[in-house]
Amino acid sequence: MSEFLEVRGLTKRFRGLIANDRIDFSLASGALRCVIGPNGAGKTTFISMISGHLEPSAGTIRFKGRDITGLSLVRRARIGISRKFQTPTVFDNLTVMENLELAALGKPGAATARQSRIEEVIEITRLSNLARRPAFTLSHGQRQWLEVGLLLANRAELLLLDEPTAGMTSEETHATAELLHNLSDRFKLTVIIIEHDINFIRDLRSPVTVLHLGRILMEGTFDEVSRDEQVRNVYLGTA
Amino acid sequence: MKRVLSSTSTAAPARRFNWRSEWMLAAVTLVLAALLPTVVSGYPIYVLPEYMIYGMLAMSLGMLWGFTGILSFGQAAFFTLGAYAMGLAMKWGIGPNPGYVALLASILIGGVLAALVGYFLFSAGVRDIYFVLVTLALSIMVEQITISQSQVTGGFNGMFVQRMELTFGPFGKISLTHDVAVYYAVLPVVAFVYWLLRRIVASSFGKVLIGIRENEDRAISLGFSTSFYKTAAFAISGAVACFAGALYGSHAQFVSPSLASVQFSTEIVIWVAIGGRQSLLAALLGGIAVASLSNYLNTITPLYWQLVLGLVFIAAIVGFKGGVAGVVQRLAAKRSEEDI
Amino acid sequence: MYTPVMHTIASVVIDGTLITFVFALAALGLAVIFGLIGVINMAHGAMLTLGAYFTWAAVTHGIPFPVAVVLAACGVALIGLALEHFAIRFFYDRPFETLLLTWGFFLVITEIIKIVFGTDTRTVTTPFPGAMHILGLELPAYETAVAGISVVVLCVVAFVFYRTSLGIKIRALTQNRDVASLLGLNIQATYKLVFVTGAFLAGLAGALIAPMLSIDPTIGNIYLVRSFFVVIVGGIGQILGGTIVGSFLIGGSETVFAQMSSQVIAQTIVFALAIVVLRFRPSGVMKAK
Repeated sequence: MSEFLEVRGLTKRFRGLIANDRIDFSLASGALRCVIGPNGAGKTTFISMISGHLEPSAGTIRFKGRDITGLSLVRRARIGISRKFQTPTVFDNLTVMENLELAALGKPGAATARQSRIEEVIEITRLSNLARRPAFTLSHGQRQWLEVGLLLANRAELLLLDEPTAGMTSEETHATAELLHNLSDRFKLTVIIIEHDINFIRDLRSPVTVLHLGRILMEGTFDEVSRDEQVRNVYLGTA
Repeated sequence: MKRVLSSTSTAAPARRFNWRSEWMLAAVTLVLAALLPTVVSGYPIYVLPEYMIYGMLAMSLGMLWGFTGILSFGQAAFFTLGAYAMGLAMKWGIGPNPGYVALLASILIGGVLAALVGYFLFSAGVRDIYFVLVTLALSIMVEQITISQSQVTGGFNGMFVQRMELTFGPFGKISLTHDVAVYYAVLPVVAFVYWLLRRIVASSFGKVLIGIRENEDRAISLGFSTSFYKTAAFAISGAVACFAGALYGSHAQFVSPSLASVQFSTEIVIWVAIGGRQSLLAALLGGIAVASLSNYLNTITPLYWQLVLGLVFIAAIVGFKGGVAGVVQRLAAKRSEEDI
Repeated sequence: MYTPVMHTIASVVIDGTLITFVFALAALGLAVIFGLIGVINMAHGAMLTLGAYFTWAAVTHGIPFPVAVVLAACGVALIGLALEHFAIRFFYDRPFETLLLTWGFFLVITEIIKIVFGTDTRTVTTPFPGAMHILGLELPAYETAVAGISVVVLCVVAFVFYRTSLGIKIRALTQNRDVASLLGLNIQATYKLVFVTGAFLAGLAGALIAPMLSIDPTIGNIYLVRSFFVVIVGGIGQILGGTIVGSFLIGGSETVFAQMSSQVIAQTIVFALAIVVLRFRPSGVMKAK
């Protein structure tokens, strides 16, 4: 029985720098996983290779049993791999509703199915009363949620979230953790989250993978990881 | 990646417009235009069809630039090809009605050529700012070709075109010699093209075009094959521009390489920039208004008018991104508290 | 001494070489601005035209040609400074707006030229008419001089960029804005300098090209597109090597094709080939993934 996402030997070399070094990583369907590590550990590179924004130098990626290593960005998005960028990347001049409608159009299906999906998403991301507002008028945190909403409306199955709480207040951060739990339950999503915020990672109560210098240092629960000697050394000074 | 637009007042109103009210406005304009020859006669009726054709040309750019975010200085190239297609078809007498042949051929030529060029460039991810210069080069190339193939095209001096007739098979024909006949022949065609383009931009396809304009990276990440959509948009606009050219050729009865010149290529962009690129109606009316005003003032003060036009263009780029239509919308929005 | 075939080949090679350097000079202004700031200066052609007209005006007032050329280049540089200071510098982060803005300036400059100088063609007499005879080959005297000046200008620019501290700072800026500003580099001033230099070079090119053709308000237009392709073919950011290689390919092809058919057709073919190159060239032109 193959895993939902299976990464073997994934490597990325940039002109003498090895950003990701033979990473083996797997995720079961419906799982939530945090990827952490100091700056320069290769987290964004890792996500970029899964989403299709970067081509691996070596290694394979299997999604739902299928080898997608050579698949283009667009094709990966179509089979359900969606990415949320570090800075909120939404359609700023369109309203929240228009944003979600466009995202929903990305997958084939009946208009009624799309509509009900959009309604679910807008409710769960708490943007109902902002539906007719242009996206650029939303607060930073709300725009982050909208972007997650886009991925949901797009019927993404594997969500790659790059620092979803960056720039958020602590209340918003708590709310985001709650949001992700709700989403995971409601929509059967598999999520990889790159994060720095310790409180958020703790709130998520999900397994953690620690990257360091392009390699996986260790994987475990939040408690195991936060107590680990090596991890503490690596993070020395970063709390 | 696309920058986040700052929330200045120019950004939002330029995008917000009431679909319903545009249909009403368009309907009213059509009715007024249809009734015009009953109250006015002479010069305006004679000259309006040409400006309506320019309006159609402006709409082709409006769809491409305003809705998809692809600026093109190449609409003039397609326009010229269509005009020469009409000229040659009439000259060589192709088919039972060479005019119809030319109109049909122009749609195909414009659409296919634009699709080929578009696919060639967009599939490789050629960015829009480089695409602009390629389209400029295209216009220059068409101009050069029409000048150099003088045995066919009449070269630098241009070529006279016989006006087409409207034939209806065994039901007779209408010759387009009287101003009013021409007016009532061109008006429904332009109205139809407007309606067609409006339906396209309002459809799901159109929504994707808007998404590409707003944030292409996000659109790609949502699974849209943006190069396909951009190619399609370019093909549609090329077909419309070429078709407009064929109509123009028949109406003006004279075509020359200057139709593909840098100057005319720029004028089209100016029409849309000033009229307003966020709505097809604004592009259409902008094309008609600015072209006719330009022609009129050109006869009075050619040099100073062009200069003013250039300055207004700069103003439209720097401050008034929505053009005249944007200004009107903002005034209307201030009056009513409907939006937001 | 030489057979007719050799003569033809020789004249093609000579024409091609001279054109390469003329194109290189004409493209350098665009290459500098495009390569260092990332702005496509759509007014480049108009600046070239302006350089030609300023030269004509100066020469008509009895100013000797070399002085006129320098004055013309400086005049265009000043105009470039004004445009940068009052308008362009506010739009550096928006490439599309800058493109349209500089296009607007192209329109306005062209119209002002028409108003001030009229639309009749002007001519500037060649300072060195005739041809030089070297090794039994005929070299058009003035064009050869311009090619020589072009080589000198390229060397000067190369020297400034790669050997002076100013050049290093400028190159640092384009590599990494944030780091450069930390090093105490005044970004605004540097951008200004680059833009003004680009304008100066455009004006200089126009001034030197003036005697080679009949001057009318549109002579710069073709140089805009040509220079753009020179930069694309040669490589954006490779300001020196790229400009020379690009000019050689573009200029050389035009010369060769012009032998087989008309100048106009040659140009069309070269543009078409350049578009193909643009499409396949991986660096600089493609969307970053």
